[in-house]
Amino acid sequence: MAEENAPQQQSHGPSSGGMRSSGPGGGGPGGPGGGRPGGPAKRGKRNFVRKKKVCRFCVDKADFIDYKKAEILAPFIQERGKILPRRMTGTCSRHQRWLTVAIKRAQNIALLPFAAEL
Amino acid sequence: MEERQYDLIFICRPDTPEADIDKVIATLESTATEKGAKIESVAKWGRKRMAYRVQKLHEGYFVYMVIKTTHGEVVKELERRLKVADPVIKYLTVRLDEELKRQEKLKRHRERRAARRPRKAVTAPAAPVAPSAPPTEQSAPTA
Repeated sequence: MAEENAPQQQSHGPSSGGMRSSGPGGGGPGGPGGGRPGGPAKRGKRNFVRKKKVCRFCVDKADFIDYKKAEILAPFIQERGKILPRRMTGTCSRHQRWLTVAIKRAQNIALLPFAAEL
Repeated sequence: MEERQYDLIFICRPDTPEADIDKVIATLESTATEKGAKIESVAKWGRKRMAYRVQKLHEGYFVYMVIKTTHGEVVKELERRLKVADPVIKYLTVRLDEELKRQEKLKRHRERRAARRPRKAVTAPAAPVAPSAPPTEQSAPTA
């Protein structure tokens, strides 16, 4: 324990200053504290690869989103009837603009719900 | 005034006989033609479940029609007719010509780009192939 603590005090002494000096008095807190500076670089961030979401309407090269086709619009609303945000669906800004208009029209003619039915 | 296109959808009570629905459509057609509008198409979608309850009904008989006109006031008159028609529980008119125009424009734009792209594709690979080979040979001895 003494051998482990000694190099830590030396290495971290200049950076963390007087606050650190009280820490190594107990061997327990000193151990995990020593691991912290080296940790984030190696395993701190879990680097998972997020799949890039692609606008479905761009893939289909949609020039017009038909409000009459409720089955196309349905995936873009929540269970409660809310319109899903772009960050959830990956729709591009232009198509999201058209999509909201289409969904609102469909809601008006009872093709899509405004809110969940009781 | 340029010609406008409207979508008109109305929902009838599910228990209305077909004849009454035809009557509603006929009156709409007559008022439209009277006011100088043209009904492009009429489609009966039939009985469908509505997404929410309207006048305590869960189902409705949907009718969809496309109207072309140069006079926007026709819509007002048609909507008034729909409002007073007994079997109709819900209706919606949407002006679509501007969106269709935009759609046409985008389509044209895409076709133009598609027409231009092959020429670029032909020239692009041809250019690098010829010059790329000599420079690599030249650069290697100098380095």
